[in-house]
Amino acid sequence: MTEPVIRTAGLTKRFGRVTAVDGVDLDVREGDVYGFLGANGSGKTTTVRMLLGLVLATRGEAEVLGRPMPRHRQEVLPQVGALVEGPGAYESMSGRANLRLFDAMGSAGPAGGRRTRERRIGEVLERVGLGGIDRRPVKAYSLGMRQRLGLASALLRSPRLLVLDEPTNGLDPQGIHEIRELLLELNRGGVTVFLSSHLLAEIEQMCTRVGVLDRGRLVLQDDLAALQGPTGRTEVVTDDPGRAASLLGDAVEGRDGDRLLVRADDTGTLNRRLVEAGCRVTLLAPERRTLEQVVLAASAGAGDRRERAS
Amino acid sequence: MIRVELRKLLCSRRTWVTIALIDALPVLVAVLLAVTGVGPRPGTGPAFLSAVLTDGTLYPLAALAMVVPLFLPVAVAVTAGEAVAGEGQAGTLRYVLIRPVGRTRLLVAKLVAVVVFALLAVVVVAATAYVVGVLLLGQQDVTTGTATFSGTSLTTPELVLRTLMSLAYAMLCMLGVAAIALFCSTLVDTPLAAALGAIAVLIASTLLLTLDAASALHPWLITRYWLAFTDLFRDPIFWRDILRGIGLQLLYVAVFLGAAWANFTTKDVTR
Amino acid sequence: MGGVRSAGRRWLAVTLGLAVFVAVAVVVRSWPAADDDVDAATLADRVQDSVDRPWSGYVVSQGTLALPDADRFSSVGDLLGEQTRLRAWWRGPDAWRVDELRPAGEVGLRHEGALTTEWSYETGIAEGTAERYRDPDVRLPRTVDLLPPELARHVLAGVRDDEVSRIGARRLAGRDALGLRLVPSLPQASVRRVDVWADAETSVPLSVEVYGDGDDPVLSTAFAEFDDTEPAASTVAFDPPRGVVVEDEDVLDIVDAVSRFAEAVPPRRLAGLPRTRDSAGAVGVYGRGVTRVMALPLDERGAGPLREQLALTPGASVTPERTVAVLGPLGVLVTDDGDGDGWLVTGLVTPETLVRAGRSLTPSWAFTTTAAPMTTTGGTP
Repeated sequence: MTEPVIRTAGLTKRFGRVTAVDGVDLDVREGDVYGFLGANGSGKTTTVRMLLGLVLATRGEAEVLGRPMPRHRQEVLPQVGALVEGPGAYESMSGRANLRLFDAMGSAGPAGGRRTRERRIGEVLERVGLGGIDRRPVKAYSLGMRQRLGLASALLRSPRLLVLDEPTNGLDPQGIHEIRELLLELNRGGVTVFLSSHLLAEIEQMCTRVGVLDRGRLVLQDDLAALQGPTGRTEVVTDDPGRAASLLGDAVEGRDGDRLLVRADDTGTLNRRLVEAGCRVTLLAPERRTLEQVVLAASAGAGDRRERAS
Repeated sequence: MIRVELRKLLCSRRTWVTIALIDALPVLVAVLLAVTGVGPRPGTGPAFLSAVLTDGTLYPLAALAMVVPLFLPVAVAVTAGEAVAGEGQAGTLRYVLIRPVGRTRLLVAKLVAVVVFALLAVVVVAATAYVVGVLLLGQQDVTTGTATFSGTSLTTPELVLRTLMSLAYAMLCMLGVAAIALFCSTLVDTPLAAALGAIAVLIASTLLLTLDAASALHPWLITRYWLAFTDLFRDPIFWRDILRGIGLQLLYVAVFLGAAWANFTTKDVTR
Repeated sequence: MGGVRSAGRRWLAVTLGLAVFVAVAVVVRSWPAADDDVDAATLADRVQDSVDRPWSGYVVSQGTLALPDADRFSSVGDLLGEQTRLRAWWRGPDAWRVDELRPAGEVGLRHEGALTTEWSYETGIAEGTAERYRDPDVRLPRTVDLLPPELARHVLAGVRDDEVSRIGARRLAGRDALGLRLVPSLPQASVRRVDVWADAETSVPLSVEVYGDGDDPVLSTAFAEFDDTEPAASTVAFDPPRGVVVEDEDVLDIVDAVSRFAEAVPPRRLAGLPRTRDSAGAVGVYGRGVTRVMALPLDERGAGPLREQLALTPGASVTPERTVAVLGPLGVLVTDDGDGDGWLVTGLVTPETLVRAGRSLTPSWAFTTTAAPMTTTGGTP
């Protein structure tokens, strides 16, 4: 049984009259790569800040690593690495000096001797692909380098939970790939990853569980595999879609070029019918929903967005 | 956390540039005095300045009297105003807080760092003033010995002790400004606004002190006892204003650090 | 976690802390003073007798009289027109020390026997000197006169029992102080009343307030710190710092100079007030207690600039014979005998008294004892 790493109940945040987050019940389990999906301004960042004790909830409760937040932040946060809304660093110092400072901060203080600390910093820099940085101050860094540095800082304490808000912002495709591989590798090592993003593809490629936030409300939360479950229809591609369609009659619920979407109880029977009728079947597979479709269906009333998405 | 803040303070080039700028005024004045040999008329100008032409070892005190009313508090206000608002603006505040660094602990560390900054500035000013004073200005052994305001002789160890006490007092006087600027820093988003808020309090205080109608307020104004370190050079030492000055600064620290704590520990960090 | 609620609690804690502090401060400040039913005349006598009681303390005086800034009288203008901070140590009338505290130094008086040494830090350091004077018979007011005990004894000198009454006690410098009110009965008086508060234990006056016509005192002086133990002799004595020479000076101030070197002789009575034993040489002092006038002859060099400054004072009245300015209860008049010489008449008397005095003095400038005949009005003793 996996224990919950993040659990919130009725988490709500109001800024004046605006309700930024409204009754969110998150459930992130150990070992998850949790995709927290939502458009810009949907309340993702505010939720993340509440989980980290930066923003105090108006109502509701949050538990991280089994402890209520923000009351137990002193015990919880040392086991959490985070990247919130872009990296932050002391501009006039080098990246390495920044890590030294952050490493020394916190109630626990710097763990280990000077050499241990230097080695740890070297390791995280290596991990995020900044092994070769020099003494240049951070203000000379590109956005991508800053992002990597922020990630390095999040990894300093070998966290059990990584909370990452838009971690691939500003990275080139190669960089995005590297970071994705890094996160997956960490996850294989037992780190739970909470990834907040507005990029569907990013979530779809990495995550095992997905939560969708729409205007402050959590409209969907499930395993990605379940969400992308079969629709009960079968996708058929034949050399003669016209004939196949007339053969199957009412069972065909949709047609897209060579592709037919067929409602069939048994794909084996369907295959035989087509083959016996002389159709060469090149593909026959159960239809699965894309994450995009799921999200769009869940995000009610977002008509304009649908047009742009398809 | 205090160690981290101190490291940041000492490694920052801005710290040293600011101190150098504060230091420039007394050095300039010393050069002008040495070149022209014209001191202020007795009874005018900052304390000790008319005496340094005959006794250069008093120059650290004259320098202190020059920088305490304006230069030093402005520098302290700017440094303390940076504390929370500056971290917020640089985007580092959220990362500091999730290290995690307790918010109260962060405030205290910031205050300590600002006080160390004031101490550093005071010590650097006094040290350079001593060197400049001895090199350029009067030598005490040619004319009169070092005397207190009351006309008693001061031995060198006594002079050193009282000078050190003056430095400590001047540094202590910056506590109130630091606390106000720190509070402003938790209140507003930009370090500039925080520093200006604290400087506005200083200006108001200085202004009210010149106004007889506000005399009921005078004992509570933050700048009221700032120059009381000169009372250390009376004989017997006149403790009244010094003790009140210390008490008042501690009161300001208690109130404004308390306010900063109440505000910051319950504030949503959205930057 | 109710963020808003806990913010409120924390603010409340800070505000409460401050409120408690303010409350304690207010209670301490308004702590009632213990009174005593001693009668006014007895208290006035005790005040006079307290001159031998030793004490030390810190005194703040505030004068509101904007005196004209005439060169040789400027020190008086500072005393009566500004705030003066004094530290004083009193072993007795023959051994005391008064330091006037200035932001960048000090001007101190050390009195030993019949000699007073004046130490001024800034000039002393620059010139390497301190000045010592014998006590003059008459002189301008000095810082020592602003000490509540000295001022109180001065205004209560020769006071009649029907002029004093008791007023409520006060707490001053952390001590109970008994109140005494003087209402001068002389018709020449310009001072409406003087309030004195004397320490309940030692009878040393702790505060004096002098009132003219207004509701606020024209001059007030009070101890902010008071200690009734005897100060050490070494604290009071002046031991010059290394390199400083004490120089004996012959003349203290212009009044001292005039009293000794001017040839005029002041009249026996002036504006109905008898000359007192405080008079010396050419300087006449008239009246008693707070109602006093001083008349001193000045030559053209002394009188000229003074006249010019007086004429600039708001409300000054100028005729060929005299220039008069009234500053609250203080009247200043300078006569002109035609060639620039004249008498300076000044004191806490009504303008009419002043003008009368001036008129009687003008023809007497060149003459001696038998001045113009005086007509006494009013029931002055």
